[in-house]
Amino acid sequence: MIPPDLRGRRERDPFWVAVNAAFNGIQRFRSLRAPALPAVSPVDRTMRLTVLEVRREADDVVSLRLGAADGRVLPGWQPGGHLDVLLPSGRRRQYSLCGDPADRRAYRIAVRRLPEGGGGSVEMHELREGDAVAVQGPRNAFPFLAHERYAFVAGGIGITPILPMVTAADRFGADWSLVYTGRTRASLPFLDELPAGRVTVRTDDEGGAPSAADLLGDVPDGTAVYCCGPAPMIDAVRASVGLDATLHYERFAPPPIVGGRPFEVELRRSGRVLPVPADRSALDVIRDALPDVAYSCRQGFCGTCRTGVLSGAVHDRAPSDQGDDSMLVCVSRATGGRITLDL
Amino acid sequence: MSVQRPPVRPPEPENIVLQARDVRFDWSDVPLHWIPRDPVATHLINVLHMLLPAGEEWFVKVFKEAVPYVRDDRLREDVLGFIGQEAMHASSHDAVLDHFVEQGLDVRPFVRQVEFVFEDLLGDRGLTGDRKRAWLFERIALIAAIEHFTGVLGDWILNAKALDEAGADPMMLDLLRWHGAEEVEHRHVAHDLFMHLDGSYAARLRAMGETITMLGALWHRGHRFLMARDPIVRGRIKGGMRHLRRTGPAGLTPSGRMVGASVRRYLSRTYSPLNEGSTSQALAYLAASPAARAALR
Repeated sequence: MIPPDLRGRRERDPFWVAVNAAFNGIQRFRSLRAPALPAVSPVDRTMRLTVLEVRREADDVVSLRLGAADGRVLPGWQPGGHLDVLLPSGRRRQYSLCGDPADRRAYRIAVRRLPEGGGGSVEMHELREGDAVAVQGPRNAFPFLAHERYAFVAGGIGITPILPMVTAADRFGADWSLVYTGRTRASLPFLDELPAGRVTVRTDDEGGAPSAADLLGDVPDGTAVYCCGPAPMIDAVRASVGLDATLHYERFAPPPIVGGRPFEVELRRSGRVLPVPADRSALDVIRDALPDVAYSCRQGFCGTCRTGVLSGAVHDRAPSDQGDDSMLVCVSRATGGRITLDL
Repeated sequence: MSVQRPPVRPPEPENIVLQARDVRFDWSDVPLHWIPRDPVATHLINVLHMLLPAGEEWFVKVFKEAVPYVRDDRLREDVLGFIGQEAMHASSHDAVLDHFVEQGLDVRPFVRQVEFVFEDLLGDRGLTGDRKRAWLFERIALIAAIEHFTGVLGDWILNAKALDEAGADPMMLDLLRWHGAEEVEHRHVAHDLFMHLDGSYAARLRAMGETITMLGALWHRGHRFLMARDPIVRGRIKGGMRHLRRTGPAGLTPSGRMVGASVRRYLSRTYSPLNEGSTSQALAYLAASPAARAALR
């Protein structure tokens, strides 16, 4: 529909009448010839590596050194980078690189065993020297930028991305400090690898759970705060960093689902019915069945995964998700029973 | 011997994972002429607010359609991150338009024309089979050309000190710089997607030609429209792209010369968007942006 002109005098703006005719003419002329579409060449991003070394670093924490079987140089990485490990079970897990970026023949990652978790860490702990592992990356969701002054805050296994940052900051002579927290000293990996002097270790068994002030103290203007640890710790730091400092934290995964109930999703186009367990989002389950479904933030704000709801009642969990004819499948769920989606 | 700081600063970040950022803006205190006493420069930038909601929604729609054709896991991740960032840009600029209308600047007639461009002219066209796919790839070439400009403009706004010196409204500058920084951050995605799916140099040339013509026309008409409709200016100054001859060198808007030079770089067969703008500067801004910090999640 050609729009009216800008002064409201004509129903069809002559400018757009002309543009429309010209553009359609071009498209019609081009369509005289059948389109020549080159085949898309697939790109395989998966590297097959070998476990070179397994080391116990702390209670329930092991580090794994991964390298190519033929010892070739691996793609480089920067502090804050991570690898995607594709486990034999089909699980995909992301682990921060915690070795030396100058070591181009091996990647080091560290994993805390969480028996109550999704099973990935248990599987990682079963790996032995010589085992094959498929990985993708490295990629960086926690980039380390040049600043004069850093305040690092790490909680437990959250030390993994912070360790190469601390080492780099120390090497280039920046002013830095690190507060490293955990349950007990024995649960903290890499204490022996941290540069001496500016590290404050704070454990719950000695000082109780840390407050935001314990974590951050006084942050001078212009400090870059780099924080990695459990979600409540990051929230506490976020709430207490002033606008004169910059805040950097890793946003790996969407927040865990709280109080979710299982339900079923029916995909209208294929008629398939997918059970959604209490601890997974509808999006995750749908992605297993339809790998090309579009989504983005996985936190209910960007709106990319909005999907039409044909039947069933939706429990909206995102502020931007209203009405019953569509839902953001990354966070919203059915009130129970089954919903039918336009997919 | 003097002791010098070793020159091993963190390098330019690479392989960045793109994630949408939740942002919060409050437009209620932003004046209509947010570059004080300069409605001409204000409106040259305001044209963006009228183009972006429809334009970026169109990006999202086209890219969603492209996801199934991608045969590269990493590029797919980039495309999904890009989509989320663009969706946030579109909705944020849309809110500025409501604020314009509240202040007596009714932008709806022009927005309607912009919607015509993106929804009709560049919309679905009811094609099937190979023709549908060819039209999809053609539009991806157009998005890659447009994204060249958004990256260049993003880099410009991050460095536009003249706007701070002119006393431009901080909330508006934060919107433009948050958006500009994300454009710099994801500047390679549309080009990478096009090169992966099609990669034809002829299509890139065609897309750049169409983009320059279309954006030039929209910008010129949009500025004339805003200057004519502005309740304070009331048409006493005629709008148009000729004003860039003053505002460009003054640093209040991008200059024609800078944009022209960037187009010549785009036309090179070895063009890489990564050579436009600085990832570290963009990421540093995003870590400090009040809007990105205001959304406590």
